[in-house]
Amino acid sequence: STRRSVEPPTERPGERRMVEMEKLYGAEAAKILAMETAMQLIFDKNCDKKQPKYWPIIPLKL
Amino acid sequence: MNDWQMKSPLDWETYVNKRVKVAAAEKNEYEGWALTVDPVSANVVLANFPENGRVSIVVVLGHAVQEVDVLQEADDEMKARLSCIFAPEESKAYSP
Amino acid sequence: SSPRFQALLGTGAAGGGHPKTSSPPQAARAALRLRYLRSLGAMRGLPVSFTLHEGGRVGAVVAAADAPPLAFQVDALRTPLGLQAAALLRCSDIIAYAFEM
Repeated sequence: STRRSVEPPTERPGERRMVEMEKLYGAEAAKILAMETAMQLIFDKNCDKKQPKYWPIIPLKL
Repeated sequence: MNDWQMKSPLDWETYVNKRVKVAAAEKNEYEGWALTVDPVSANVVLANFPENGRVSIVVVLGHAVQEVDVLQEADDEMKARLSCIFAPEESKAYSP
Repeated sequence: SSPRFQALLGTGAAGGGHPKTSSPPQAARAALRLRYLRSLGAMRGLPVSFTLHEGGRVGAVVAAADAPPLAFQVDALRTPLGLQAAALLRCSDIIAYAFEM
């Protein structure tokens, strides 16, 4: 952790993700990442609010 | 991962706009027009047009797909019909 | 890179990574993924019937999916044991799901 305090961050958060997305999806990467992020946000918000439990409790197939 | 999940996007794309029969886990079988195959999960999205004028969508999960057989190719009219199900802004027919 | 990313990319499928152009595999992957994400969007708020492993069938209103998706957050889940107001269904438990629009 001493290293981290000395060296400046070489990557902005999300930068690596965007590079991966561009390798996968080329020109459409930003659009797809935006759609996925929006979808995930709704999911996370729902889970915070409703506290849904997994059904069934134990996975059917491992 | 099964054989279906191991395919490449260019392989999956060849199924789009085809009428297919999907054999899935536990002897489930589904038939319909392939709209897309999710390249992340290999889930197959099928459309059918029942008599009630609505669009019936079935999605078979990639991990449960055992075999996909092509039955028929869509004509231009069907392609146009399929292309506007999920993408109103995508007015042009999807041609792989 | 993450193992998931490596698995998705496969071999020989990588393009130059330039944001303004796409290789054929990238263009195909993007078109297929966009359509799938739109199908998930279209499903929100609709009653969906799920066929599960081991012969189970349940109905619910889909409220949200995570990305990739791995799970669906559903409301009004009808199970053999009764109604559950909110629940999560694992994609690994599901063989297929169906809805009308």
